[in-house]
Amino acid sequence: MVDFVKRDKNDIFNRPILGFVFKNKKFLLGMRIAVALLFFYAVFYGFMNPAKENIFTGAVFWVLFWPLFMLLTLPTFGRIFCGICPHGFLGKYITALGLKKTMPAWMQNRYIGIFLLIFGWWGAYYVFPGFLSSPLGTAGLFAGMTAVAFVLYYLYKDMSYCKYICPIGTMSRAYDKLSFTKLETYTESCKECKTFECASSCPYHLKPFSFAAKNHTDDCTLCMECANACEAVKFTLTKPAQILEKKFKALNAEVWAFVLILAAIPVAMTFAHGLERSTIAQEMIWNKTAAFFGMGEYGVGFAFMYAIVLSLFFAVLGLWLASVVLKKDFNTTFSTLGYAFAPLFILGSLGHTLEMFFVKDYATLVKGFAQAFGFAAEAVPLAKRGDAWLHYLGFLRWVGVIWTLMLLYKRLKLIESTKIRKIFGYFFASLLVIFFIGINIYVGYVFKVYGIKAAGHSHHMGGQSISQRPSFVKSASQPADDSSEVLDFKHMIKATDLIYFTCSDPRAGSRNSYTGGMHGGNPMAVPSQNVWLVYGENFGQNACIGQLDGALLLYDTSHTEKPVKTQSAQNCTAYRFDMPHNGYYTLFFHSLIAKENILHYKSAKLEFLNGNHGLADVYEPHKSQPFIAEKNKIDLIRLRDKKEDSFFYTHSSGDLLRFQALFDNKPLAHADIKVFTDTGWVKSLKTDSEGIAEFNIIKDYFPKWPEFDKRHKGMLLISLSYEDNSSGILNAESYAKTHYTLTYPLFFYPNEDEYKSYKEGLIFALLALLLASFIVYRFRKNRTKPFAEVRYDEK
Amino acid sequence: MMKNKIRRMINNMPLNKVRFWIQLSMFVLFAYGGYVLIDFGSSIPIFACPYNSETGATCYFMPLQHQLAMPANVLFGAAAISVLVGLLTFVAWFVVLNKAWCGYACPFGTLQDWITALRKKLGIRYGTYSQAQFEKLSKIKYIFLAIVIVIPLLMGVGVLGREWSGAFCQICPARVISPMFSGDFSQWKIDFSTVTSMILTTIGVLFAAVFFVGSFIKKRFFCFFCPMSALHYTMSDLSLLKLRKDGDKCTKCGDCYKVCDMQIKDIADDVISTNILRDDCMFCMKCVAACPEDDALHVDILNMRVFSSSKEGFAKRMGMDRLEKNDDR
Repeated sequence: MVDFVKRDKNDIFNRPILGFVFKNKKFLLGMRIAVALLFFYAVFYGFMNPAKENIFTGAVFWVLFWPLFMLLTLPTFGRIFCGICPHGFLGKYITALGLKKTMPAWMQNRYIGIFLLIFGWWGAYYVFPGFLSSPLGTAGLFAGMTAVAFVLYYLYKDMSYCKYICPIGTMSRAYDKLSFTKLETYTESCKECKTFECASSCPYHLKPFSFAAKNHTDDCTLCMECANACEAVKFTLTKPAQILEKKFKALNAEVWAFVLILAAIPVAMTFAHGLERSTIAQEMIWNKTAAFFGMGEYGVGFAFMYAIVLSLFFAVLGLWLASVVLKKDFNTTFSTLGYAFAPLFILGSLGHTLEMFFVKDYATLVKGFAQAFGFAAEAVPLAKRGDAWLHYLGFLRWVGVIWTLMLLYKRLKLIESTKIRKIFGYFFASLLVIFFIGINIYVGYVFKVYGIKAAGHSHHMGGQSISQRPSFVKSASQPADDSSEVLDFKHMIKATDLIYFTCSDPRAGSRNSYTGGMHGGNPMAVPSQNVWLVYGENFGQNACIGQLDGALLLYDTSHTEKPVKTQSAQNCTAYRFDMPHNGYYTLFFHSLIAKENILHYKSAKLEFLNGNHGLADVYEPHKSQPFIAEKNKIDLIRLRDKKEDSFFYTHSSGDLLRFQALFDNKPLAHADIKVFTDTGWVKSLKTDSEGIAEFNIIKDYFPKWPEFDKRHKGMLLISLSYEDNSSGILNAESYAKTHYTLTYPLFFYPNEDEYKSYKEGLIFALLALLLASFIVYRFRKNRTKPFAEVRYDEK
Repeated sequence: MMKNKIRRMINNMPLNKVRFWIQLSMFVLFAYGGYVLIDFGSSIPIFACPYNSETGATCYFMPLQHQLAMPANVLFGAAAISVLVGLLTFVAWFVVLNKAWCGYACPFGTLQDWITALRKKLGIRYGTYSQAQFEKLSKIKYIFLAIVIVIPLLMGVGVLGREWSGAFCQICPARVISPMFSGDFSQWKIDFSTVTSMILTTIGVLFAAVFFVGSFIKKRFFCFFCPMSALHYTMSDLSLLKLRKDGDKCTKCGDCYKVCDMQIKDIADDVISTNILRDDCMFCMKCVAACPEDDALHVDILNMRVFSSSKEGFAKRMGMDRLEKNDDR
């Protein structure tokens, strides 16, 4: 260890402010914590607000982290973002606690990270535009990567995740070589060192004292642990891309990263966002290919594939031709000259990114932070599209091209060959650059000659909307909105119509609206249920009742009356009630209609069983007993079966249902009961002398096997009707007879026997048992084969 | 003096008998606790299978899978608290006994020990894995653990449908076998409602059938594959109960390895680590009881030795005095 060193003038640690920023332990820790908090908050925020209105998550990742922290820093200061990356920051501690195994050889493969970046992210970005960049997609992606990262940190030593699996790890390592900084040591001071604190303090198990001699910094992420462990570590300012001017141990993965990233980002963007906007987009080869395969909507995905294939073709062909003329083997040529392609992508994209930042993304960023942290901010874009000075940023792309050509010249110097061969080699090696220039000019040409389509510029942030759970708005402050066209209840409903409750929204096509149970959103909230009153001549023709003329009563599990909330929309009223406890909630409705000398006493009943998981939700048999409302003239009681021993009891086809009809709370004998199913089946019954009627639920669900749904809801409606001679006058209409009806709906599932079978299970089990026993037996027999004994006759 | 006396008594105890009675009572507790309304909640770190309607507690994987399968925005929102509470309860239970949950409390493990005892009575030789097989098989439990965690998460983001609900339970042999404790054989049915559940329940039934053959031949057959064991191992450092080894005192006689039901080689080979608990270990302490060296292996609670190997205890358990007498005769 070296305690004191006289630092060079161009040592960044020697500079007042930069030295503090890059070396001060507390400052770095603060930065890391801040970035980690931002990262996790953005992920959390993305999950909490998956809708498109969430601009914060996108802003953090696609405006702050990727363009500013990555693209801007890589060709300037180097991999400094890696030094404060939340994964690396927390990974260091996880590794310390973890198993510290050696990463298996197949995972020690930098191509895993590169492929994740190119195909996992960019490929998916083109094929399914909008999903990965939507808030939920972004949050999911980063949450998933975080989980993978943490597991790998936990398992393996030396931050192997950063080196091999991290999608931007190899990329950062590669582009870092363009930067104008370099971490190395004062080699003179190092000579006396025997303890190598720089190496032992390195979480990545690197040897900083060798960086100067090796002329590159391996997987160094500039976390500055070594600089804090030993004074002889320096962080020097150099010429940009100085490393690339001399020899170093090249890594083919880095060159492939340069080529693939160039293909996936600027080239594919030029295809998918540039040429795709032109009026002749349909003539482009990728759209034609997509149409040929009948996958027209995936044209952009094919554009990405063409970008990859063409870029790889020109890069490999060019370098191969160069290797031929230079008379060198391909591998050497590839790794030596390939490094020259580095600036091509990063400067090109930087120009575009900065332009977008000034025009749009800056405002998005401010708005996103304002949204997430709840402050008010007025963000005006820093520039307008078309401002003259913005065009200068476009020149960065050509700076990249020129820099590449310069680097190619310098890299070519490292290869020994004759001058004339080098001239041709230079030309061939720059085929990829020529291709890149070519497509840029071609876009300009196409736009000029054929023009641009009317649609706007589609950018990273354009996400498709992810549907959210519809939320029920209580209508306390909002009376029935269709007051202008209230239908007359009495005229609407015919004497023969059934009125009944349904738990599924009659306006929507959906049958399933059961929201009980723990999955219904916030587990802390009181569960609630919506029901609707509908009418129709037959069961299943649910016409919704908009405005009610009658009494609606709700009784909770303890049989006390409770209020019902209503909400009307589109001439349909939903009734909502809270279910704080487990057990049966009973709803009654009745209305009186006098027509043609007959009074129709129409009533509907619903028994809704609420079942929740929870420690407090202990089943008690008395809670499942039916509630008999004395207020009701006519009632139908479902008699409970012995099997009903939980709050999660459901009926299934084949079950025996027993009902008792009551009139004025006395058993009603010989009354008519009709049973309907939503499939059109009808059965008529009469109650016996004790008012009891019973029947089995039929099976009427016969789908083809793979479409079978064991949660298919069959609907039943039981209607009770009775007539007596009570007479009177209602609303100035006299009647001589009274006709009472009551409906009782119920749903049922397929019987377990319809889809579960012992037979196959036992056959399989028996076969497995026999097979396993046989294998063990054979195996043992082989092993216990007695040795062939050799006997000698000694007589 | 008193302290030493108690310590000697513990160190000399006949572990196999003690363990048998503990296991029996735990089995009754967890397999039949429901009959007397015992409920230790739903975060227990053993395979106390809730498909057995009379279970006295619930295996943590059941609620864990259900919780993780909630829609992602719910899971990472308000529901995160309930997930965390479940996990913390699980950890709180686990911390007390460490992996001794497996060796002493797990009804499914106890069942395997009894099947082993039956095999022993019948005089049939037991099977072992070769070291190479052992290394490979012992990884499988992490794959199962991944199934427990990843499939519900994929359901939460909508990649997998509802038929994947409780996917690990569907393939778990304990789901098929545990209900039989209370006379329910219905889990041997195959569910044909969807292709997925058909495949999963078929795997479960096959696994259950193989379980019987396997555990008859191989001691603690299923425990090699048990994801609960894997989950235990990830947090075994937190536990109060520790299995420790003093390498200086070890003579590498290999007795501990021979008695180990799980064939853990490190117990005899490794003389460097002090914490000798391995991912396959079920903390049955048979190794401690079989060790003939004073304090070479010991079980600690918060650095206090509660049970350690001793020459005297070894001699007692092996019935050396009787053997010596026989020699004299």
